[in-house]
Order: sequence, then structure tokens, then C-alpha cells
Amino acid sequence: MTKLDSILEGRRSQPHQLIEVLHDLQEQYGYIPEKAMLAVAGELGVPLMEVYRVASFYKTFSRKPRGQNVFTVCTGTACHVRGANLLIDQVQGQLKIAPGSTTADGRVTLESVNCVGACALGPVVMRNGSYFHHVTPGKLRKLIDQTGKIKKEEFHEKTKGN
Amino acid sequence: MLEYLKLSIDGASVRTVKGTSVLDAALAAGICIPHLCYIPVLKDTGACRLCIVEQVMNGRSKVTTSCTLNAEEGMVILSSTEKIQNLRRNIAELLVAQAPNSRAIQDMAVRCGVKEVRYPFRNDKCVQCGRCVRYCSEYSHANALGFVGRGQDRHVEFALGFRRDLCKNCGFCTEFCPMSITPCGGPMKHGEERLCGMCDSKINPTPYQPGICVRCDLGKGFQCARQHYA
Amino acid sequence: MKRLRGTEDLTALRTKVQRERKKVKATIIICGGTGCQASQSPAVIAAMKKELTAQGLDKDVHVRTTGCHGFCEQGPLMVFEPGNLFYCHVTPADVPDIVARTVKGGKTIERLLYQDPLSGRKVRTEEEIPFYQLQDRQLLSYNKLVDPLSINDYIAIGGYMALAKTLTSLEPPAVIAEVKASGLRGRGGAGFPAGLKWAECAEMPGEEKYVICNADEGDPGAYMDRCLLEANPHLILEGMLIAARAVGASQGYIYVRKEYPLAVKHVKAALEQARNLGLLGDGILGSSFSFDIEVSRGAGAFVCGESTALMASLEGRVGEPRAKDVRSVKEGLWHKPTVLNNVETLANIPAIILNGAPWFAAKGARDSNGTKIFSLTGHVKNTGLVEVAMGTSLRQIIFDIGGGPKNGKAIKAVQTGGPSGGCLPVSCFDLSVDFDTLTGAGSMMGSGGMVVMDESTCMVEVSRYFLKFLQDESCGKCVPCRLGIERMLEITTDITEGRGRREQLPLLIDLANTVSETSLCGLGKTAPNPVLSALRYFPEEYAAHIDQGKCPAGVCKALIHYAIDADKCNGCGKCLRACPHEAISGKKKAAHIIDDQKCNKCGICSGECNFAAITVH
Repeated sequence: MTKLDSILEGRRSQPHQLIEVLHDLQEQYGYIPEKAMLAVAGELGVPLMEVYRVASFYKTFSRKPRGQNVFTVCTGTACHVRGANLLIDQVQGQLKIAPGSTTADGRVTLESVNCVGACALGPVVMRNGSYFHHVTPGKLRKLIDQTGKIKKEEFHEKTKGN
Repeated sequence: MLEYLKLSIDGASVRTVKGTSVLDAALAAGICIPHLCYIPVLKDTGACRLCIVEQVMNGRSKVTTSCTLNAEEGMVILSSTEKIQNLRRNIAELLVAQAPNSRAIQDMAVRCGVKEVRYPFRNDKCVQCGRCVRYCSEYSHANALGFVGRGQDRHVEFALGFRRDLCKNCGFCTEFCPMSITPCGGPMKHGEERLCGMCDSKINPTPYQPGICVRCDLGKGFQCARQHYA
Repeated sequence: MKRLRGTEDLTALRTKVQRERKKVKATIIICGGTGCQASQSPAVIAAMKKELTAQGLDKDVHVRTTGCHGFCEQGPLMVFEPGNLFYCHVTPADVPDIVARTVKGGKTIERLLYQDPLSGRKVRTEEEIPFYQLQDRQLLSYNKLVDPLSINDYIAIGGYMALAKTLTSLEPPAVIAEVKASGLRGRGGAGFPAGLKWAECAEMPGEEKYVICNADEGDPGAYMDRCLLEANPHLILEGMLIAARAVGASQGYIYVRKEYPLAVKHVKAALEQARNLGLLGDGILGSSFSFDIEVSRGAGAFVCGESTALMASLEGRVGEPRAKDVRSVKEGLWHKPTVLNNVETLANIPAIILNGAPWFAAKGARDSNGTKIFSLTGHVKNTGLVEVAMGTSLRQIIFDIGGGPKNGKAIKAVQTGGPSGGCLPVSCFDLSVDFDTLTGAGSMMGSGGMVVMDESTCMVEVSRYFLKFLQDESCGKCVPCRLGIERMLEITTDITEGRGRREQLPLLIDLANTVSETSLCGLGKTAPNPVLSALRYFPEEYAAHIDQGKCPAGVCKALIHYAIDADKCNGCGKCLRACPHEAISGKKKAAHIIDDQKCNKCGICSGECNFAAITVH
């Protein structure tokens, strides 16, 4: 588990580093694996229950593996009044998944977020960390249809930078 | 060296030791302030909000929880004004509407003056008082169970499944759980939830007098911290 | 980069950098903030650099990539120094033309000029843009002057001179006195006097004290702090350094929400550069003052904008607020005296130290000194960041600066203060925007979010939206917030779905008052505001939902009904293809029909129809 080692480097026995460690784990694996939680508990000196608790409290962390492509719809107030809920409707109708879930083939995960700070350009959707603005249900449908074609390596490259 | 101080609770002059919470001081003096999440041996958390009181300062009053408020010399506390009674009743109403399947919660609702429940009943198995979690981490240092999730999906769960290597079998989690005592008329099934009102009035006919401990049913057993003060 | 050993070194560096900047004949400023990045400005920047090099102009013409200017909907933005010629909506394809005609030829390209939506006039320079003209951009005007990744740019405009002053001529008690006299109140929403907070912390005994910058900016619709951190991170660092100097802290933290990756990147770069120059770390500017700053990221919890929850998060724990009977200035991070200030509050500090308290206090309204940045979004023509003196009215901001309604629909309300605030109707638009006036009207200024809503917005649905938001974000610890908000949401949902009953309204108000009085933290305490303000100002909408089962704005799904007007429909099939629920059927060139059972009332079909054949009842 050398990836884990590099994440824990310089942070061992420092309980307050827990959240930054979880961030790095999320970036590395796309989610927080149970094995990682056990390792982190031991190395940081934090009770396992606390690691689990923190990983479940903060919405950035996912305890289930996510799909190849993560679509994040901003549901902040400015995007909401410009119709962000229509975008959620679009994805639910098109792919039959609700926010927080992944398609059966693992191609797309849908998530919602409460504001990315690009409010003047709403509705905003992010695909694997790239921003799209003034998104309409039609535009989103096209974007999703085109998305099978992104290669896995490209996906990992983009999420690392986040 | 113990440092003593005096504060006024409901007009009565109460003497206590520095570092004591207002709730503790009141209970020791025989003043009833309903509470649920408070357990003397555990750290105060102020989660249930039932122990609210009004603190009068500079002509204004502030609503705050008495378990998290440290007693100070000259403090003026009112524990059962009409405003507090209304607020407390509303909180107890929310609790019993959420988890009616517990004699302790039903009793608490009656104690706090709930006469009708204006919300559709739920039948939750946990009222999230936090006693089990805090006993497990602060007292037994086992950390075998805890709160998981946030807001709506917050619930008590084991750390990644029940772990024999973590649980110390102390039993406090079940012993102090208010949901472990079923209502007098038996467990309430879905659709049958109601405000029971039987327990307290059945056993203790003395009507609830705000502010005065009447040694109600909640005091017997472990639901009220007054049992420590006899 | 050599370490600066004192004020003389700093002044010398500033002179040197300013001299070098004068040598540059022209500068092309391109906005690289998150908003313009979404509009592909990095491609414009790359294209410009490439073209200038190809034309041999890269020595004389400098490209400055800046952070957010706050006029995001017009991006990518380009400004030319000198002259302030302003181009908007620039694409990479425009670049060769710009270099040939504007850079080399000195000519203006009409199609790239900003067009004022109210007058229809094309405007040449930045100063002539009404959106900017009517503002008082004390803080925001710096954003185009600095490349956030260059500390030299910040020093060139006078950066870190305020810090130098506090290390030489202005002792900590005098610093605190100056901030107190300025009347600066916290810009994060609570409006606590900054000087008082610093004074209380400074009085606490002990060597271990902390300064925290709250950059969580959880209010959806607000992005002032993102803009400041991305565009001018050194301004905030300097503010923190001065705070630390004043209260005696040696360690600081900037807690940035995870959703602002560019801000995190720019702040980290700024910290590195400041350390290299000796403006951060041990022995700052050759003095005995030492202070360093760490960046910590949030993880998707609105409640972590609350100070005690933020500190719990910094300690690696869940963001559950604690009872505030002992305040953070006494016992905060790791139980040590802590000053926590919002980004914008800290951004105001250097100017107050350099220009003095009376300068700051001269602007604004009574008890609300200075300027404030607002993020104006929603159904208004000019969206973006608006910085004005406090005391400006809502009407001036929304109509004069914002340009009034968009899409021809009348403006109905403005939501201020995020989920802790409320919706104010047009009749309140002459109210002064400051810390106290809006609170008196049932809303609050909050951190500065202003979402304008027109007649296509249902106010009952908006209050449902906020309750859902707060329910998601509630930490769940205390009963009134965890259970009370959920019950308020239950009632409001009943109303939006046509099951509302008259008796529910007094219950909603009673419950709202309980939640507000008994919740443990600010999230719960202010949660009822959206609901109570909607009830107060838009009772007719509630009445329509409850008594008539109608949604006047045509939004609430259970109360509306989509139908295709057979006379207008030409059977093009666009709606059929667009419907994600397969609820529309019909043959080519024949009138189509919506199946009510399958229809999700999402309205996607009517958005696609070019013939206005789909109507809502």
C-alpha cells in the first residue's frame, strides 16, 4: 500500500490531519475504502469509529466507489432559480439514477453540490472537475451522451488535480 | 480548595461549587429541570435542548441550556417561565412525535405538558440522545459505536460492523437507552402511535408543578439525574 | 528572491518592481478566475501568448492573468493597459484579430465591446461601464492590477506596507484601537465588531493564540470570498498578519471550502512566496514577530462556516458546533484564544491601517461603516459582484447597477443573506442595505448573497428549497434543528403538493419560533427566516396553494398541468425527443399529446418548443 504510505507521510500520530488525509484518499481512489479507514485509524491514532464518523459526516467523501465519470450539478440558490432542478430531472430521466448514485455500468455518477461559487454563470455543471455554464437540460443530455468516450486515464488525470 | 458561590434559580438562592453547571445546581437543590441527554458522569453536550432556562442579564433574558451553562456568582436563572414552558413543551412534542415507542419519552412529554401531538407520528427506534455513544467513548473508552452521517440520515451505528475487538461488553449502551423501556400499553405498532399519557398519571397522581421535583416516575431508574441527589 | 530584512528592503523592492513595470509598453489583462475559466479563458490566454510571441511582440506587450473581476457573465474578460479598453466574451478565435487590429493597429473591435443592456450603447472603456461606474470598488478594483501568482505585483501596488507599519510605528494596542475606531464589522454575516473581537483576544493570557480566516463561504449564491482569494490572496494574508500581530498569535489557518480549488491553489502559492521573502514565518521583516499560516480544506459541510464547527473541523473532527457560553476568543481552537474572521473582513484591514479609521468610517451608513461586496445573481440583467458603500438601497443595487429584470418578467423579490436570510418584496426595495435595517424587515444582509427572483419563482417553493437545504446541512446534534426543520419542511411540502391546510400555518409559525429560540447554533437559529419572511410578505401565495390548490407562478409540480395546444403544435417532435420521461407521443406533423401519468412536470419540453405550444395550467 505505498500510495497510502505517501498520503500518511508526515502525518502519523497527528489526529487533526484526519480530514486532509481523507481528502487525499478520495482523490487517489475516488472513494474511501474500508481498508484505508482501518489503516488511517491505526496510523493517525484516531479511533476507527471516529474515522468512520468523519468520513460519513462530510459530503465530499464517498464510501462507495464512484463511476468513471462524475457529473456534479450545482444546486445553490442562484442555480436553483435558473432551473438546476431541471438538470437533476434530466439525468434521472435519462440515466435513471438519483444524486449520489452511479449507473449500473459504472459510466456515470451523479452528484449534487451546494454551490461552487460560479453563481453568475448558472446553472453550472461539472464533469470530472471541468466547469460548464448556462447548462440547459438539452445541453446536459448531449454532454452525457458524449461522455462514454472519455478514457479512464483522462478521468484519473482530471480528478487528481481537484 | 472548593470555591462556593450563590446564584438565584426561580427566586431561590442556591449554593453550589464553582465549576458546577446550572442544571446540576438546580437538581441538587430539588428544582426540576427536565433533561434527556444529560448524564452526570458524561460531558455536557446540550443536544436535547430540554433543559433550557432563561438567563436574565442587564435587563434582557437569553434562552440557553442549563447543562452547558456554568454557574456563576450572582446569576439569575428562571427555569419555568411561560416562555420556557412553551418552548420545552414544543421540543418534547417533537421528540414524542418522532419516537413514541418509549415509556421514558412518553413520560417526558407529559412532564413537559404535551397534551396533543400536532405532527404525524413516526416510529423511530432511536431518539439520538447520544447517551450510548458518549458512554462508549467517554466512559468505557471503547468507541465501538457512534453517530454516523449528518442531519436526516444521522444515526447510531457500529464502526464498520460489530467488532468484538472494540466492544467491552460494559452494557451501558442498552442500560441507559431511553428506547429500551417499552410503553405501558405495550409496543406501539405502525399506525397505532399515540400520546400514551398513561404511565405518569397512572403511577404518580401528583400533577406536574413547574420547577418543583415531585419525584415523578422519570426519577425512578435512570432517566433523571436527580436520583443521584436522593 | 532575497529575504526582506525590514521596511527599507520592502520599499526598495517596491520601487524596483514599479520601475520595471513602467518599462512595459502595454499590458493585456485577461481574467483567469473560476467564472471565466468556465467560459474557457485559459484557451484565450494561451492563444494570446502564442500570438504575441509569433508576432515578436512578447517583449513589449505583457499578458497579465488575473483572478476574478466579478463580472462573470461577460467573460472571458480582457482589459488593455493603458487606456482601459474593455473587451468581453473573447474567444481564442478572436485573438489574431485583437493582436493585429488593437495591439498593433490601436483600433477598437466593435463586436467585442460591452453593450449596456439598458441603453443599448456600446461602451469602450471599463470606466464607462454602468455596472462598474455605479459601484465603489475599494477592494475589487485591485483584482485586475495583480497577477495572483506574483507577490511582486502586490508589492508594486503598496502591498505589505500596512504590515510594515504595524512592525515599526504602530504598536499592537494602537492597531486594535484603529480597527475599533474604524467600526469595521464582520463581513461573514454576524457583523460582530472586529476591533472588539481582537481586543478581547489580545487581553487573554498565554502565548498560544490563533488567527483563523473563514473562507468556507457556505451561502449558496455568494462568491465574494472566492473572488478575493483567487484574485488577491496576499491582501488576505496581510490582513491575517496584522491580526496576529495585534492579538499575539503565532499560527494561523485559512479554512477554504473544497469547492474552491483555484482559491486553494492561489493561496498556497502566495504563502510560499511570502515565506521566501521573509514576510511570513520566523522573524518577519527582520522583526521578532513570527507567524505562519496553514491552508485547510473544507469537505462539503455548510455548518462548518459556523465558527465552533469550523474549529472542530480544523481539529480533524466532525463539524458539530458547541454551546457558545464560553466564547472562542477565550477558548477556541484547541481551547486556546482564537480570532476567527471572514475573508472580506480581513481584506479591509490593510487599507484601514494605511489610511486610518476616519477614512473608513467616512463611508457607509450608521453602525455599518465602509463598503461591502454583494453577489448579485438570479433574474437580473447584470449579474456579478457589486461593491458599494453600505447604506445603498436594494433598488439601486438591483435596478441601477443590476439593470433590472431579465426576460421581460417583473421582479418579485430579492433573497438576501443566504439560508439565514429571507425574501423581501419589491415594496421593501428602498430599504438601506446594512447590518441592521434588513434584519428589522425580517431578512438579513448576511455575507452578501443577493438572489433576484421574478414572477416565475414560487415563494412557497423557495421556502421549501431553503428548508431542504438546511435539513441536508444540519449537523443533527440538537433536537429543534434536526427534528424541527424536518417538520417545517414536511408542512411546506404538503402546501406545495396541494395537501396544505389552514391550521398548518399557525403550527408552522409556532414551530419556527421554537426552532429559532432553542437551537444550539446559528444554522438552526436562523433556519426559520426564509419561511417566516415568505409567510409575512407573500401570504397570498400561501393562500392560493392552500385554499385554491393553485401555484400562481406555475412551479409547484403537483398543482400544475402541462398540455400541448393542438392549434399551435406542428408536430415537429422536438418535445418528444427532449422528454426524459417519454411522456409525449404523436406522429410526425401531427399534434402531439402529453401523457399526464408519465409527465414529471419538469418543463423541459416547453423549453424546447419553438412555437409556444406547451402551456402550464
